[in-house]
Amino acid sequence: MASHFEIELEKLKNVIIKIGNLAENQLIEAVKALLSEPMAEKKEVKKNEEKIDKLDVKIDEICQTIFALQQPVASDLRFIMASMQISNEIERIGDLAMSVIKNSKNIKDKHDLIVKFNVAELAKQVEEITIKMNQCFLDRSETTIGEIFVLNNSIKKGTDDTIHNLMNEMKSNSKAVVSGMNLVMVLKHLERVSEHCTNIAEHVHFMIKAKIIKHEKFDDKQ
Amino acid sequence: MHKIESKNVNFFYGETQALHDISLSMKENTVTALIGPSGCGKSTYLRLLNRMNDLIDNTRMEGSILIDQKDIYQKNTNVDDLRKNVGMVFQKPNPFPKTIYENVAYGLRVNGVEDKNIIEERVITSIEQVALWDEVKDKLKKSAFELSGGQQQRLCIARALAIQPSVLLMDEPTSALDPISTSKVEELVHELKKKYTIVIVTHNMQQAARVSDNTAFFYMGKLIECDKTKTIFTKPAIQQTEDYITGRFG
Repeated sequence: MASHFEIELEKLKNVIIKIGNLAENQLIEAVKALLSEPMAEKKEVKKNEEKIDKLDVKIDEICQTIFALQQPVASDLRFIMASMQISNEIERIGDLAMSVIKNSKNIKDKHDLIVKFNVAELAKQVEEITIKMNQCFLDRSETTIGEIFVLNNSIKKGTDDTIHNLMNEMKSNSKAVVSGMNLVMVLKHLERVSEHCTNIAEHVHFMIKAKIIKHEKFDDKQ
Repeated sequence: MHKIESKNVNFFYGETQALHDISLSMKENTVTALIGPSGCGKSTYLRLLNRMNDLIDNTRMEGSILIDQKDIYQKNTNVDDLRKNVGMVFQKPNPFPKTIYENVAYGLRVNGVEDKNIIEERVITSIEQVALWDEVKDKLKKSAFELSGGQQQRLCIARALAIQPSVLLMDEPTSALDPISTSKVEELVHELKKKYTIVIVTHNMQQAARVSDNTAFFYMGKLIECDKTKTIFTKPAIQQTEDYITGRFG
C-alpha cells in the first residue's frame, strides 16, 4: 500500500503532467494561429489559460503542504523543488502562447511572410521541443534532455537568422514594418518558449541526477 | 587528524555478530549523527566508544578504536580515565536522587576533586554551559526530580561536562523530551561542539539533519554510508540510505 506521502507525491506528479499537457495544447493552438489565416480566438484557448494559472497556484499549495508536513529529503526534496520551478516555467509557456496568438492577428499577408522566411519550420521545432519537455518529465530520460538542449540551440540560431532577414526586409520595404515587427515579436515569444522548455529539462536533470546545470554553457551541458 | 578512529570493528553478543567491519572516523569539534533502524548497531557502536559494552557479559570486540591516537581497547587502558574523557548522555534523563547542585558535584567528588571552590566553580560553569543556570540558580538545593524532563536532561549533560570530557556521546538524548526541550538540547549541541567532539544516536531524521556535520547510516550491523550531513540528506550515494531517509525502507 502506498504511504500517505507517496500519494501526495503522485498527486503532485499528476498535476504537473496535466498543466504540461495544457501548455503543450496552447502552444499547438498558437502555432496554428501563426501558420494559418486569421481565425476567431477559440474560447477553449482562453479557458485553458485560466486552467493553467489555477493549476500553477495549486502546485504551489501542494508543495507548501508537503514541505510543512513531510519534511522531504534527497530525491523527494529534489522532485518537489523541481516541481515548483517546472510549474512556473509552464505557466510562462502558457502566457507566451497567448501572446503568439495575439501578435499573429496583426500580421498582414502572413502567408507570404511565413513562406519567405521559412517561419513554419521554426514554429514546428518549438512545437517539438514543447512535446519533448513533457516527455522528459514523464520518462526522466537523459537522452530526451540532451535532445532538448540541441533543439533549443537550433531554435535560437534559427530565430536570430530569421529576425536578421526580417530586419533587412523592413529596411528595404517600409510597408512590411508593422507585420514584420509583429512577426519579430512572435519569433521572440517562441524562442522564449524554447528557453522555458530547456529550463524545465534542466530542472528534470537536477531531479534525476542531483546536479544543478542551469546557467551552464551549451557545450558543458552536453 | 581524527579525534576518534575505528578500524575494522566487529562486535559480538555471544554468537550473534552485532557489528560488521566498521571503519569510521570523526574529526575533533564535529557532530556525527548515527542513524538507522532499530537493532542496526548504532547504539552498540556508540557504547564501544567508552567501553560501556564491557559491562555486558559474553560480548567480544575485534578491531581497534583510537581516541586521540590511543587504542582504547589496549590492555593497559584505564577505563575510568577513558569514561572521564568520553562522557555519555542517555535516552531518558537519569538524574541521581540528589539535589541539583549535588548531581553535578557528585561526579567531581567521586573523581577525587575535594576543593570546594573548584567544585562550585565547575558546577556553575557546567550548568551555565547547558543554558540551565537562569532556570535553576535559585533552587540548587532542591531535588533534581523537581525539574522538568528537558531540564533534567540538560542537568545530566551538565553532569557529564563537569568532569571535563573531550568527547560527548549522546544516545537518543531528546527522544523523551517535548519539542521546546528538544530544541534547547539541539541548540546546546551546536554550542558544545566548539569544545567537544560529539557523537549522537538519533531516530529523528530532521534532528540528525539539523545538528550534525556528518551522518553515518547503519543497517544490520554494517556501516552503509558516512558522509557530510548535507550530502546524505540531499544526494546520498547508496540507494539503501536514500530509501531509509525518505522513509521507503523495507
